[in-house]
Amino acid sequence: MQITLFDYGAGNLHSLAKALRGEGRTVRLEADPRAALATDVLVLPGVGAFAPAAAALAPARDAMRDALRDGLPCIGICLGMQLMFEASDEGAGEGLGLFSGRVTKIDAPQLPQIGWNTLDDVTDVDLRAAKLETAYYANSYVCRPADSSVVSAWSSHGNDRFPASVRTARTVGVQFHPEKSSAPGVRFIQLFLESL
Amino acid sequence: MSLTRRLIVCLDVQAGRVVKGTGFVGLRDVGDPVELAERYEREGADELVFLDITATHEERATLFELARRTAERLFIPLTIGGGIRTVEDIGLALRAGADKVAVNSAGVRDPSIFTAGAERFGTQCVVASIDAKREGTGWRVYTAGGRTATALDAVAWAREVVARGAGEILLTSIDRDGARDGYDLELTRAIVHAVSVPVIASGGAGNASHVCDAILAGEADAALVAGILHDGVTSIAALKGAMRDATIPVRQVAA
Repeated sequence: MQITLFDYGAGNLHSLAKALRGEGRTVRLEADPRAALATDVLVLPGVGAFAPAAAALAPARDAMRDALRDGLPCIGICLGMQLMFEASDEGAGEGLGLFSGRVTKIDAPQLPQIGWNTLDDVTDVDLRAAKLETAYYANSYVCRPADSSVVSAWSSHGNDRFPASVRTARTVGVQFHPEKSSAPGVRFIQLFLESL
Repeated sequence: MSLTRRLIVCLDVQAGRVVKGTGFVGLRDVGDPVELAERYEREGADELVFLDITATHEERATLFELARRTAERLFIPLTIGGGIRTVEDIGLALRAGADKVAVNSAGVRDPSIFTAGAERFGTQCVVASIDAKREGTGWRVYTAGGRTATALDAVAWAREVVARGAGEILLTSIDRDGARDGYDLELTRAIVHAVSVPVIASGGAGNASHVCDAILAGEADAALVAGILHDGVTSIAALKGAMRDATIPVRQVAA
């Protein structure tokens, strides 16, 4: 199984690459969004700002959205999850629009949200099986899906409640960082990959 | 439910080894950073910080290499600091394996590094490290590992770094660092009340009740500990147990 991390040029990808590894899998980094689609699993990693990341995927935005709609498995983490939506108040540019809705700021007196937060109303089978109950977040913005039935777990911060994860059959977006959520986080990634 | 309070373990590193001193001087070698990092994650640390206390240009490559080796084995957040001079250094540290980068002296010299770092990499990866020493009724900011006094008041400086883009403050009391007689709670509370970002209290942890005090009386979001763990005075499990008993929400680790 070929796993490709789309590398928009910011952040630590070492822990995530390590968390994706396993028997019969190869993990590669790819900075060209079009080339990144030649893969079995696409990963949109989580560190950076919306505008530069949206600009990096712009040349292949439609192709990427179509590939995901046609069933290419994908994990989007934090900013990577936000890129699955239409647009963000954080910065200019268009997301993939795989999910309808915008990315907006968390309503809380303390931002960024940095630290371990609990997940509730968890319906995601892999989150449940991994027993991932407290996850590491580092964000100020969250996704507001037009259709809340795609949400498979929630978290709260300040006055706000927001999706911790969204899910379609073969696409999962998580607002927290599973690769920074210790053993249960890594288990979640492994279970998702094994389910494909 | 909401955010838990964090217990963060700091490893002061020098030439690829973990060291610990008192009041920034008198260093002792206490172990291998990668091994210690893995052990502390297993035991339930919520985050790790590597601070390069020599912070010279030559040491930086060693620090980044260490971050790379650690990130490949660590699945909790890693902050690195010490000798970060430019926004390019922040980028290099993140690429090497850090999740957050602590900026101290360079921010005092030119605070635009906070803004540039936040714009390029996101405010959540830019940590302002503030070393403060009590003076009269306030606290003065020091740089260069506590050696150089600045003209800055710690509370005003905390407000400024946040306005400029820092997403978190790592606040160290120079008076308490290594003394094990408790955090400077008044300093911690003053900074927490001055800013809207999370504040990590550092300097002075001697036992579990000090850690609980930092959260409850100091109102810190996180407490940083180092020497008392490296020396085996206490354990992460004991500290978190005490936090739980004090009704502080903490992350539980499965046995």
